[in-house]
Amino acid sequence: MDLVSKLIVILISTTVVNNFVFTKFLGTCPYIGVSRQVGMAFGMGCAVTFVTTLSGIMTWLINVKVLTPINMPYLKYIAFIMVIAAMVQLVEMYLRKFFRSLYDAFGIFLPLITTNCVVLGICLFVDLWQYGFLEATVASFGAGLGFTLAICIMAGIRENLEWADMPKALRGAPITLIIAGLLTLAFMGFMGIIKG
Amino acid sequence: MIFENLLATISWSNVGLAGVVLLGVGLLLVAMLNVAYAKLAVKPNPVVEAILGVLPGANCGGCGLAGCSAYAEAVAKDHGLMGRCGPGGDTVVRRIGAILGIEAAASAPRRAVLHCAAKISDKINTTRYQGALSCAEAQMVPGAMGCPYGCLGYRDCVVACAFDAIEIIEGLAVINYHKCVGCGACVKACPRALITLLDFSEDPMLVIACSSIDKAKEVRSYCNVGCVGCGICAKLAPNTFQLQQNLAVIDYQKYGRWADSEKARVKCPRQMMLLVGKNAKIKKIESEKAIVEN
Repeated sequence: MDLVSKLIVILISTTVVNNFVFTKFLGTCPYIGVSRQVGMAFGMGCAVTFVTTLSGIMTWLINVKVLTPINMPYLKYIAFIMVIAAMVQLVEMYLRKFFRSLYDAFGIFLPLITTNCVVLGICLFVDLWQYGFLEATVASFGAGLGFTLAICIMAGIRENLEWADMPKALRGAPITLIIAGLLTLAFMGFMGIIKG
Repeated sequence: MIFENLLATISWSNVGLAGVVLLGVGLLLVAMLNVAYAKLAVKPNPVVEAILGVLPGANCGGCGLAGCSAYAEAVAKDHGLMGRCGPGGDTVVRRIGAILGIEAAASAPRRAVLHCAAKISDKINTTRYQGALSCAEAQMVPGAMGCPYGCLGYRDCVVACAFDAIEIIEGLAVINYHKCVGCGACVKACPRALITLLDFSEDPMLVIACSSIDKAKEVRSYCNVGCVGCGICAKLAPNTFQLQQNLAVIDYQKYGRWADSEKARVKCPRQMMLLVGKNAKIKKIESEKAIVEN
C-alpha cells in the first residue's frame, strides 16, 4: 500500500503541484508555439507524453543498469539526448502512419520535442530524485500529463481570445506570455503541498 | 608541457569504455528505429516526391504552408499554388509545371480567357466606389463599375497570377498569351468567375467577351459593349453560336474559323466578340497603355 500511495503522490506532484511548465518553466517553446487550437495542442501534449514516458523508462534503464555500474554518471547527458531523439523519431513515424491529418497539421513541430527541455528535464530530475523503476515511470508519465494539461488550458484560452478585441501590439506571443504568467499565478495555489 | 601533463593524467581506458558504451547505446537505438521503420513506413506519392525533389528545401514557410513537404503535397492537389515558392522563383515554378504537365502540350494549350470587354470608358452609370481596392470587396457594392457581371479592374487576378500574365489596361483585365500557362490561379481569384480556361485549338480564338445575362434595356443602361441578346450571331452561324439567357454562347466543340463565325463577329452590333491569343492583333494597346489604378 505504501508504494501505491507513493506513486499516486508522485503522479499528482508532477502533474499539478510541481507542474513542469508552471513551476519549472520548462517546455515553454511548444507551450507558446503550438497552443493556438485545442486540437493541435492536445495532439502535441499526447506526443510529448508518449516521448517522456518512453524516454523516462529507457533513460532510467541506461542510467541505473549501464552507467552507474561502470561509474560514469557524467555520460548520462549525451546518452539521454540520444535516447530522446530516437523516441521522437518513433513518435513521428507512428503519427505519420496512423494519424495522418494530425501529422500534416503539426508534424513540422515534432522535432521541437527532441530539443525540448521538458523531456531532458524529467529524465534528469528522475536521476536527481533517485527514483526506482516504477516511480520513474509514473513521474515521467505525470510530467507529460502536466504538460498536456498546461498546453490545453492555454489553447482553450487562446481560442476564446480570438473573439476579443485585442490591441495590435499584444496579438500573438505577447498576450500569450502574459496569460502564461497569470496561469502560473493561479497554479501557485498548489505550491508547497508536495515537496519537489 | 602543461599539455603533456594533462595527457598523462587522462585514463585512456575510461575514455575507451565511455566511447564503447555510448556507441553501444547508439547502435541499440539504431536497431530499434530500423525495426520500427520497417513496420511503420509510409509509401509516398511519386508526384509529391518529384515535386519535393525540385523544391529548394529551405522549409522557410514563405509559401504560407508548414515547410517544403507540405507545399509539395498542396501543390500536387491544387495547381493554383504554383507560384508560391519565393526562394525557388521562376525556375522552380517551371519545373513544377513540367512535373504536373501544366506546360502546354503541342496540341491544344489550355489558356485563360476573360469574358468581359468593357473598358472604363464603356462602363456607364457606375456607383462611386471608395472602398478597399480589391475585386472581392468591390463585388459587394451594388453598381460598382456599373455592370453587375463584368470586370471590376481592381487587380485580384493580377495579384494571383504567378507568371505576370495579366495586366489591367483601362480598367479591364488583359491576358498576355505569351506568358499565360493555364495554371488556373486567376480563375479562382476572380470573384465574378469571369475567367475560364479554354483549349486553344487554334490561335487566335473567338471569345464572347461578356457575361451579362440581363435583357437588352438593362445592358444598354450600364455598358456600351455588353451583349444585348439580339441573336444576330446565332442566326448567321447557328452551329457555333447559341443564345442562352440573353447571352451569346460559343459551342467550342463545333468551333472553327469558318467564314460564318467571322461574319458573326463582324456583324455583332455591339462589337462585343474578341479574338484572343498570341496571334491576335491587340489594337492600340501599346500606345494607349494607361494602367488605371482606381
